[in-house]
Amino acid sequence: MQGLRISPGLLPPECEALRAEVRAFLADAMADVPVAKRVRNWAGSNPEFSRKMAARGWIGMTWPKRYGGGERSSLERYVVLEEMLAAGAPVGAHWVADRQSGPLLMRFSPDVLAPRFVPQIVRGEAFFCIGMSEPDSGSDLASIRTKAVRSALGWVINGRKVWTSRAHQAHYMIVLVRTGAASENRHAGLSQLLLDMKTPGITVRPIVNQLGAHDFNEVTFDDVVVPHEHLIGTEGEGWKQVGAELAFERSGPERYLSSTQLLLEMLDAADANDPRHAVALGRVVAHYATMRQMSLGVAGMLARGENPALPAALVKDQGALIEQAMPDLAHELFGGNAPPGSRLEHAMRYTALAAPSFSLRGGTREILRGIIAKGLDLR
Amino acid sequence: MSDSLIEQSVQRLFAEEVDKGVRERTEAGALDERLWRLTVDSGFSLALASEAAGGIGESWSAVVPILHGIGYWQVPLPLAETMVGALLLSAAGLAVPAGPIALIEQGQGNDLSASGSVASLRLRGTVPHVAWARHAHTALVSLADGRLALIELRSGKGATCEPQVDHAGMPADTLRLDGAACIAQAANALPLAQPVWSLGALARSIMMVGALESALEQSVRYANERVQFGRPIGKNQALQQQLALMAGDAAAARMAALAAAADAPSSAQTDAPAGAFSIAVAKVRCGEAATRATGIAHQVHGAIGFTREHTLHFATRRLWAWREQFGSDATWAQRLGRLAIGGGAKGFWPALTRRRFEGML
Repeated sequence: MQGLRISPGLLPPECEALRAEVRAFLADAMADVPVAKRVRNWAGSNPEFSRKMAARGWIGMTWPKRYGGGERSSLERYVVLEEMLAAGAPVGAHWVADRQSGPLLMRFSPDVLAPRFVPQIVRGEAFFCIGMSEPDSGSDLASIRTKAVRSALGWVINGRKVWTSRAHQAHYMIVLVRTGAASENRHAGLSQLLLDMKTPGITVRPIVNQLGAHDFNEVTFDDVVVPHEHLIGTEGEGWKQVGAELAFERSGPERYLSSTQLLLEMLDAADANDPRHAVALGRVVAHYATMRQMSLGVAGMLARGENPALPAALVKDQGALIEQAMPDLAHELFGGNAPPGSRLEHAMRYTALAAPSFSLRGGTREILRGIIAKGLDLR
Repeated sequence: MSDSLIEQSVQRLFAEEVDKGVRERTEAGALDERLWRLTVDSGFSLALASEAAGGIGESWSAVVPILHGIGYWQVPLPLAETMVGALLLSAAGLAVPAGPIALIEQGQGNDLSASGSVASLRLRGTVPHVAWARHAHTALVSLADGRLALIELRSGKGATCEPQVDHAGMPADTLRLDGAACIAQAANALPLAQPVWSLGALARSIMMVGALESALEQSVRYANERVQFGRPIGKNQALQQQLALMAGDAAAARMAALAAAADAPSSAQTDAPAGAFSIAVAKVRCGEAATRATGIAHQVHGAIGFTREHTLHFATRRLWAWREQFGSDATWAQRLGRLAIGGGAKGFWPALTRRRFEGML
């Protein structure tokens, strides 16, 4: 049960100076951005905005200078992220590269791929997507069938990925493929490859979501040839490598802040003297404050080199609960009464439709709770 | 005392001395004088009191193991109340009296009124739900005007105690004050508008974390031991999902309580700008966790957990008692919500990162 405990994270004073700097940047950069765009949060992307952040040194902030990084602390990075997300800034274009692709390349291909690609990420010029799920492999990721075969020319990939967010905008994909047969150990035989999205044989087709938006895609590979040196890390170790990414993927502030713009609209629309409003929104404040401490705590554990895989699963599970509670709360307090065309109405419509994805993406609620149950010694 | 020393002595004392019999005897109406003496001798009751007043002058973070231990081992003593009382009295420059101290916040569920000059302050009114009042020697009253007043409960003059109990069967008496005289008074020195109510809520929050972790450990152990359909019931995904949710609530409650302890004012650190906010957050979050976790713990335990014989109820009944004492999660949420709505969209995020709403005390 100790493994589920999160040590409190404390932000050092230099973080507050940085916070002020980020707020000043956002006050300017977000001044004319309407709520219709802010609600998208990190699902919103704007390459121009990403390049502005890069110019400030806010992409790859913690990475080594030799890759172009800023060598700043991960808590400073945390402050930049939480400020961006709370403001509804369109950080989606570089999000995946900054959060996990860059760290993955530096860790598992420090001398071959990282020197080539990481500096491009830092400059806000290389956006990444991740090819994991397949038509028959969702939560059961180990069952993927997309195959890469080593040939004289390189790795030859055939297969199909689905739900690949922003594959149509990304420059590169990190794709999980089967390079060997599954043995007794069904996690064996998987590998990660880096792939240029302009490579012949790749077809990207949009999968329009229930919001009517084009975010994720189906990506098919027909004899796509990737250079040998684009293998990330060790052949057959893909499962372990993916696992290492997940603590980063699951504990960040994006795991509880997704519905923030709706909360802000509710605060403006609410009546402080209506106990229904005050009690319900006060509970949300308490959840936000607690989620922030938990997420910050995991960031501190990551910064100290600990492996908080379990606490990260816990943060994401708890965070999705509060994110998903928000449209239902808005319905409870304001359903049917939001002025037509108002900011509140817009935020309600968008968030209600987006919310089901919050407990699906990045590991479903059931998978996360399975991980937590394992941490409780129930499996 | 270092953190680990406190933790070790808490562990030693409570694990060895507090069992079912001790809890049941207290429910029957008797204070375990020996156990009380042992905790006093261990320095727990004066852990928060200033060194100048003969205490240890610890921070709230340092005494978390004591308060957590009261919940984890379900220790039936007026210890949290006495710790809070001793902190407030000593910070205000008053001597800390011997014996258990009960806590009262004027205007919180009572019609208490104060009259008379500074020299002869008298208190009148009915104060329900005063934890441990029948065993307390004195009561610390936080007045709405910012003064602290200490009254004598055992002289038989001006104060009568009508025994009542809370969900856990612990004393939660009705005090009738009819001109009770103050034996000491001073201005509250800590930066909290309702110091008894706030610090009581903080203590209850930390205690709830202990009780939540006890209930979670009992539930996981039971799920792994109880065999049905040929395997432990904990192998069922339906149960695993519930216990994982309970673990999430317990972890969130723990984080909220630890953050509040870190932000709360102590005798050595009276400057605490985030204290009021973080304490409100903790009481809301821990109270909500108590609500969900008690339901899951009982569901996992099945009928056996519903018996008087089983120990689960010592934890769950305390959670039901503590979630309502010193302000329920709903009342603290209302306070936070009013301030959040007052600050509007613009004020929200700056307040959350500063852990303080404008004008909050």
